[in-house]
Amino acid sequence: MAEVVLSRVRRDFGAVTAVHDLNLAIAEGEFVSLLGPSGCGKTTTLRMLAGLEFPTGGEIRIGGRVVNDVPPAKRDIAMVFQSYALYPHLSVADNIAYPLKKRGVPRAERRPKVERTAELLQLTPLLDRKPRQLSGGQQQRVALGRALVRDPKVFLLDEPLSNLDAKLRIHMRAELVELHQRLGRTMVYVTHDQLEAMTMSDRIAIIDQGRLQQFAPPQEVYHAPANRFVAGFIGTPGMNLIEGTLSQEGGAWCFTAPGLRIAVGQLTDDAQAGPATLGLRPEDVTVGAGPVSGIVRVVEQSGHENIIIVEIAGNERLTLRIPASILPRTGDTVALAPDATHAHVFAAGEAGQRLNTATARPRPQTL
Amino acid sequence: MTTVPQTHLERRYAALGLLLIAPTVLVFCVVIVYPLISAVYLSLFSIFTPTLQGEWVGLSNYQALLSTGEFWTSLGNNVIWTVGTLVLQIVFGVAMALVLHENLWFRALARSLILFPYFVSTVVAVLVWKWLFNDLYGILNHLMIVAGLIEFPLDHLGSMPNAMISVIIVGAWKYFPFVVIAVLARLQTIPEQLYEAARIDGAGPFARFWDITLPQLREVLVVIVLLRAIWDFKEFDLIFLLTGGGPIIGTQTLPLLVYKEAFALNRMGMAAAYAVVMMALMLAFMLIYIRQTRRRES
Repeated sequence: MAEVVLSRVRRDFGAVTAVHDLNLAIAEGEFVSLLGPSGCGKTTTLRMLAGLEFPTGGEIRIGGRVVNDVPPAKRDIAMVFQSYALYPHLSVADNIAYPLKKRGVPRAERRPKVERTAELLQLTPLLDRKPRQLSGGQQQRVALGRALVRDPKVFLLDEPLSNLDAKLRIHMRAELVELHQRLGRTMVYVTHDQLEAMTMSDRIAIIDQGRLQQFAPPQEVYHAPANRFVAGFIGTPGMNLIEGTLSQEGGAWCFTAPGLRIAVGQLTDDAQAGPATLGLRPEDVTVGAGPVSGIVRVVEQSGHENIIIVEIAGNERLTLRIPASILPRTGDTVALAPDATHAHVFAAGEAGQRLNTATARPRPQTL
Repeated sequence: MTTVPQTHLERRYAALGLLLIAPTVLVFCVVIVYPLISAVYLSLFSIFTPTLQGEWVGLSNYQALLSTGEFWTSLGNNVIWTVGTLVLQIVFGVAMALVLHENLWFRALARSLILFPYFVSTVVAVLVWKWLFNDLYGILNHLMIVAGLIEFPLDHLGSMPNAMISVIIVGAWKYFPFVVIAVLARLQTIPEQLYEAARIDGAGPFARFWDITLPQLREVLVVIVLLRAIWDFKEFDLIFLLTGGGPIIGTQTLPLLVYKEAFALNRMGMAAAYAVVMMALMLAFMLIYIRQTRRRES
């Protein structure tokens, strides 16, 4: 059993609290990303899991065992660092063998394990090289190899792809996912790159200012963000967040903002008439016909689609994603139709909680 | 090899370059090349120092030198002094650098204080140590007697091997801050994540020192050892002031022998021969040092 459970985990640095009463239950074999902006506490959380940092309060369990006071080497975890932290004076083979050596594995047993790991990561021809003779991607694989070789219960990865160029990053992303599927081990992955988190994870824990904002599968995080922060953080281009007023007219809820009036459904019991924020994904507004009128200010063509910025009611700007076949010109007046069924309603303010239940999206087709 | 024709501008730049390095080359020739050639030249003469008059003797100074016991004793002393003081400097220097690298509250103050022996004038340092070592009123004997280590006062500077041990200790005290500074500077550049990775990989404090710190310090230690070996090998003032080479020639190293030959025995030619032999020995260290720096640069 290698589930990872954090119960009310807290970490203070003097007067600053980096992590506030964090609760997370990561199932065995799950790939979980800790996602958030810089300084949100995600790396601190990972370091607490690794035992490099000690929680000020709360409890961390790995495989059912409380590990708060257990040193890193005895937690049965392996970590891949952002800088890879390869031992510069050791060869690739010795780097991979190091954790085995320190655990007293005899030389004769170390060799086949190192060879097997090298083969898995396509490092066999590089075993005699020193880290400085390797490219970024190769160094990254050696760091993975050093983590893999002793078959730990949990893998901790601290932004392992952030030092690679864009092309290699996409390649390594796929390799990591494949590796996870093959090993079936619990992996905790820290990143500030939402695309990495979205594409690789079983579930994403979104953290902001040391507090957990949402812990859900990528699709849920995207289609049903728990609050305004998650709504604004996930998605490129970001969700359009419009300040306005929520009102109830004859039993039906309606959201009103300058130049925009939209009926919203499925509101929760927390919903109250008054100021609120409406969230519209760029793809949830149809351009061409509709009740809202706007002026096109910016047009960006990316080949397979166009991104346009439309100004409504003189000040509110909406970013919209439209098919490449529609190409308005800057200055054109266009009619817009927001998709009310996929609109998100949040309480007013920066930390506004979600006030409506998300409409279920059609399940992706399996082949 | 094909020669690339130079443009007018390139020739002017080259001329400017020559002009700019000319003063340095000139000073180098006056203060290094001339004395060097002069020393080799002098070593081929038998010269009376006060008059600087003498006659050509060819290589007989060298013949005489290699057959005297004093040369070999001094060379032996030189090696003992250099190795002894260097080992102590490295051990204490590295240890102190490791302590000062830790997050101690008095770190800033300690880092400044540690440089004190290196900055204090050798004459002053030797006076203080001579007072500490004094067999009649020195505090060292007093403390050793109080601690029950000895029954009667020891003659720290007037008997062997005490004198050599004392000189080695004072040398180590005087020069270990150099090692501290160089090692500390290197320690601060070792990425913390290497230690964290090693902790996760199961390395204890000793293994972390052995597997990470030491290999990372290797290059800087090689340079320190070579530089300090050269400097210690030719050390004169500290030994001369502390023991004058005594008792008899118990702590006499080659630089002291050169001085004795030149100014006490008035044999300038012989002194020059000793100096040339010393230079040849140090050249070996120099060549290793140059090779090491070249390898690092490449």
